[in-house]
Amino acid sequence: MENKAPTVSNVFTAGLWRENPILRLLLGMCPTLAVTTAVKPALTMGLSVIFVLLCSNIVVSLMRKLLKPHLRILMFTLAIATFVTIADLFLKAFQPEMSAVLGPYVPLIIVNCIIICRAEACASKNGLFVSVIDAIGMGIGFTVVLCILGGIRELLATGMIFDIPVMWKGFMPLSAMRMPVGAFITLGLILGLVNMLTAKKS
Amino acid sequence: MDKIYVLLMAFISIVIVNNLVFTKFLGICPYLGVSGRIDMAFGMGMAVTFVVTLAGTLTWLIDHFVLMPYGLEVTRYICYILVIAGAVQLVEMYLRKFFPPLYESFGIFLPLITTNCAILGLCLFINLWGIDNFIETVVLSFGAGIGFTLAICIMAGIRENLKTADVPDSLKGAPITLITAGLLTLAFMGFAGMIK
Amino acid sequence: MLKMIGHYIKESWLLVVSAFVFGLLIAVTNAAWQPKIIQNKITKLDSLMNVLIADAKFELILSDVPVETGRGKIAKSNIYKATASDGNCVGFCFGAEGSGFADKIELVVAVDAEFKTIMGYSVLSSNETPGFGDRITQDYFRNQFIGAPAAILNLTKKGDDKKIDDEIVAISGATVSSTAVVDIFNNYLKQIREKLAGEGKLADGK
Repeated sequence: MENKAPTVSNVFTAGLWRENPILRLLLGMCPTLAVTTAVKPALTMGLSVIFVLLCSNIVVSLMRKLLKPHLRILMFTLAIATFVTIADLFLKAFQPEMSAVLGPYVPLIIVNCIIICRAEACASKNGLFVSVIDAIGMGIGFTVVLCILGGIRELLATGMIFDIPVMWKGFMPLSAMRMPVGAFITLGLILGLVNMLTAKKS
Repeated sequence: MDKIYVLLMAFISIVIVNNLVFTKFLGICPYLGVSGRIDMAFGMGMAVTFVVTLAGTLTWLIDHFVLMPYGLEVTRYICYILVIAGAVQLVEMYLRKFFPPLYESFGIFLPLITTNCAILGLCLFINLWGIDNFIETVVLSFGAGIGFTLAICIMAGIRENLKTADVPDSLKGAPITLITAGLLTLAFMGFAGMIK
Repeated sequence: MLKMIGHYIKESWLLVVSAFVFGLLIAVTNAAWQPKIIQNKITKLDSLMNVLIADAKFELILSDVPVETGRGKIAKSNIYKATASDGNCVGFCFGAEGSGFADKIELVVAVDAEFKTIMGYSVLSSNETPGFGDRITQDYFRNQFIGAPAAILNLTKKGDDKKIDDEIVAISGATVSSTAVVDIFNNYLKQIREKLAGEGKLADGK
């Protein structure tokens, strides 16, 4: 039991920084760029991904001993698609505005590489507990980066965060930040910054 | 005549104006990962074109002849992803059996394609745009593949030249690719408004 | 033969069972939330239409009306009748669409009961350039349409955008988006009027 605690914190922090899905593994780029026009859609997307990741990791981890190798991927896809459909229905029912903003990017969680990658790399090899921790860590890592990106873009594009004006008077909004170009360049610079920080540390 | 015009416009719009990579952010993963060499990028693009045409058409057929008449729209996403996975599997088997040389060149990319967002994304967008014309669906699906190939080949060409460029250390690799892609989207924005 | 079937069952039982379970799961959630989703859609449309025609009840009178949007393309539109609390018809609302700068623009348009004056429009969905084309959702452009005659509208580059007439002043920097909105109006007003007149639903009976 003693050596369990470090493993858990290890697994948890892996998703946050060392193996952060966006910053380090460059997975799940498509929603990262598409939905980060503002913080709110970014947060909604992040939470949906956490939900799907958690459910799929639990299911995969529970049936990992029964899985046949060649039907494995099919099984993962089926489970993920099911939970994405549920998440989509939930958003449509209780967050109709966000559902309209996110549009087809909610179903696109199905092909978000993070989820299938975690199912394959972690959940199909580890027990329930580790898989859950892993899903939460990875999910939070994903969500935080999404929110940072969304925050920067919303701030520069409109001068507001969560629709509350925060910038000084006379601030000129940079509409370009809300266009695709803003997404690509902001993420590129963030990745560059992360690379620089890591290089300094080591 | 009008029909041909509509189809032509649909094709140009999906290849250039509404390019999936530059305006909808679909298929970014292979776009960043594979596009290091032009010949590889072209092979990947062709494989995607092949699968996306098949998948777009099949999902449209299933949507209109199975899901909608029986009110099963809620299972749409599951059906789509299964169709795509199945199509990829079939294409792989077919190529291996009948066109070994083609399989050699496509083969490595095929398993990757199932999780390529461009494919599922296109199927979803066809549904979202409410396309109810079969031929238009085929043209759009094919055009999406061509658009993807175009984007990935342009990027590969730029990256081949970037190798010799003096890029700051921390920006090497993915960051500079993303920034380049950002500038490319600006260039492609110039085409918007072309289609009426 | 039996052995082979047994082999297949052994290989795939998990898949079949979980497909069944997942199917059940989706069916249950769908059954639980579908009414709410439908309600949400109605509420959204109602609130949009209520902005255009205040204090009225909306009733779907014609659904899936085919409207030509140019070059042989057909779009489907729903027409709603707005009734005031005293039971009089105060106007009509209908969905309208056309291609904008980047993507399709979808509008809800309101006209009065005689189909003579436009009562305004709301943007249902659009994907216009932020900062330029997306100003078609803003009041200063939309207000030009309120009270304009429901006939052919013209777009001008310069003019008085406060004056209400059949001249619509384009958004500077977004001529294509402005043109798209005006085109949608010109196209739909004519065809919807014919449809409504053909069904005898217009207030003056013509």
